[in-house]
Amino acid sequence: MLNRLLLFVNISSPRNLNRINNFKDLNLVRQIFTSITLNHGEYEWQDPKSVDEVVNVTVVLKDGSKQQIKGKVGDNLLYLAHRYEIPMEGACEASLACTTCHVYVNTVHTLPEADEKEEDLLDMAPFLKENSRLGCQIILSKELEGLEVELPKATRNFYVDGHTPKPH
Amino acid sequence: MVNFSKVCRPLRKSRTLIETVRHRSEAATVEAICPHLEQFENAKPYSEIPGPKALPIIGNTWRLMPLIGQYDISDVAKLSQLFHEEYGKMCKLSGLVGRPDLLFVYDADEIEKIYRQEGPTPFRPSMPCLVKYKSQVRKKFFGDLPGVVGVHGEPWRLFRTRVQKPVLQIQTVKKYIEPIETVTNDFIYRMLEMKDENNEMPADFDNEIHKWALECIGRVSLDTRLGCLEKNLPADSEPQKIIDAAKYALRNVAILELKFPFWRYFPTTIWKNYVKNMDYFIEICMKHIDAAMERLKTKNVENEKDLSLVERILANEKDPKMAYILALDLILVGIDTISMAVCSILYQLAIRPEQQQKMYAELKTVMPDPNEPIDSKKLDQLVFLKAFVKEVFRRYSTVIGNGRTLQHDTVIQGYQVPQGTQVVFPTLVTGSMEEYVTNPKEFLPERWLKSDIDNKIHPFASLPYGYGARMCLGRRFADLEIQVLLAKLIRSYQLEYHYVPLEYKVTFMYAPEGKLKFKMTKRKE
Repeated sequence: MLNRLLLFVNISSPRNLNRINNFKDLNLVRQIFTSITLNHGEYEWQDPKSVDEVVNVTVVLKDGSKQQIKGKVGDNLLYLAHRYEIPMEGACEASLACTTCHVYVNTVHTLPEADEKEEDLLDMAPFLKENSRLGCQIILSKELEGLEVELPKATRNFYVDGHTPKPH
Repeated sequence: MVNFSKVCRPLRKSRTLIETVRHRSEAATVEAICPHLEQFENAKPYSEIPGPKALPIIGNTWRLMPLIGQYDISDVAKLSQLFHEEYGKMCKLSGLVGRPDLLFVYDADEIEKIYRQEGPTPFRPSMPCLVKYKSQVRKKFFGDLPGVVGVHGEPWRLFRTRVQKPVLQIQTVKKYIEPIETVTNDFIYRMLEMKDENNEMPADFDNEIHKWALECIGRVSLDTRLGCLEKNLPADSEPQKIIDAAKYALRNVAILELKFPFWRYFPTTIWKNYVKNMDYFIEICMKHIDAAMERLKTKNVENEKDLSLVERILANEKDPKMAYILALDLILVGIDTISMAVCSILYQLAIRPEQQQKMYAELKTVMPDPNEPIDSKKLDQLVFLKAFVKEVFRRYSTVIGNGRTLQHDTVIQGYQVPQGTQVVFPTLVTGSMEEYVTNPKEFLPERWLKSDIDNKIHPFASLPYGYGARMCLGRRFADLEIQVLLAKLIRSYQLEYHYVPLEYKVTFMYAPEGKLKFKMTKRKE
């Protein structure tokens, strides 16, 4: 029974919708759906299937250095950052309860507007700027190619003793 | 010290990235929000923190005792206010027999710091009764993953991680707009049935609100209609038994924990009653979740979108126990909190006709046809309604405070505070402090709107749901239930209250005490 239950995906989220559309094209729906239900950051660990899917993102780290990462359409920026061991924390796991994945969007890309719940939380983020967003709410799309985000000086929950969060 | 540069404007309606000016920016220095950089050794010693003096041996417990003590524990709200008036921004209540010191913090900047440094598994002390029930009485049933309420550390994190996405993420919650609206329509129908010849609600109307909240949370966490809103329920019917169990397992907890904590030492009658009713809740949860499991087996699921919250949990977990325990936790904390908040919100609406009119005007614009179903787009537009709810929570916070047990030594207000201290954030007091809120005594929903630039609120001053990894798990459902009820009720009916003003008291939650005999009149279109 469990196997059968794994054959669905939440299309209400644009990220998943994207995936479905991709998969429909590939006509691989059945085989691939088993992995799609793993939406706790596992999706971001899969490499892009084709060049078309690739979205390049630059992350400016706390020390000012830049790191280039290669994501794909549908990736959640928070989980993608975890994959590349970038210290974007995400204490509430993208359930919109904290501000530990706060980033500045440095490029002029048009992101979908933050909804009221994200806005409410952003107001509680330290070092707030007009280009502040929560990393967990940024889902990569082709339009976001070349996106540059910057980590604020502090987001805290800082782990004590300079501990860096590990990807799951 | 007033630091208005740290103050901000919540709830903006629409905004493009470039245009907006945020009111709160880089005022905070790394040191100010990163407390472990402050020198613990250089801080003043813990023993110098002001607070009522403890007597030798019996400590401070006597102060909370009936008759001889100066504070009546049942009025924790007043107690918290008194402490602030007498001792300032921080007050230590030490020497409590059998429990750690309580440290009341009335400084929103310090509260912000503590929330920000709480790490991956914040410790939130709560409900000793439930802890004993889960960890001792029914240890076998709860096992290694006993849920979220009254659970800490890794077991808490593991459980929360597995349930928090369906419970908090907006896309799952959205699916419940329609079911909650159906329950709410039944509730309004029930109100119409109940009103007397003067169009007034009965004296025990709060009981009916409890039933509505129970029916809502049953629909969400058990995937079923419990049937609590039926009239003339027989005493031995399941809905009536659930209603009674809710009374003993929830409302009596206050008496059990605050007034007569003898159950800690031997099983008193009231404790036995508590256990019996908790057992009944588990039985109900198992029954309905098992039924949901059966339905799921024969359900033709193509898309996770077709799945309810319960089904999503069941589909992802091998053991249905996860769903039993989640349902139990949601029910235990999701009835009285929401229903008492609704009592308070409806009372505030009834005594503020002008603001009710404003809410009605907004509802009329957003919902021209009162019978048309509510959807998430409509809810998004109800800006004043949400601001009103926020203002009730600021001024009359249903939950008087939140708390954390410190996971490591911390400097608060320049004092050393050792690991293990229970810190209390009395949101009811801080939400009305002049340092953090402009015109705090005034009831002004508009202060939450973007257009209002004169009224400031410190973002950590009023936090009815807490903040961070341990933020209220049921928050989105609570908000949704309240919004749907207000939208449906105020769109079509006018609410009035014509009796002696009610006083707010802490019974279990902070809410108006007395008869909520609202007058309900159909609005003319």
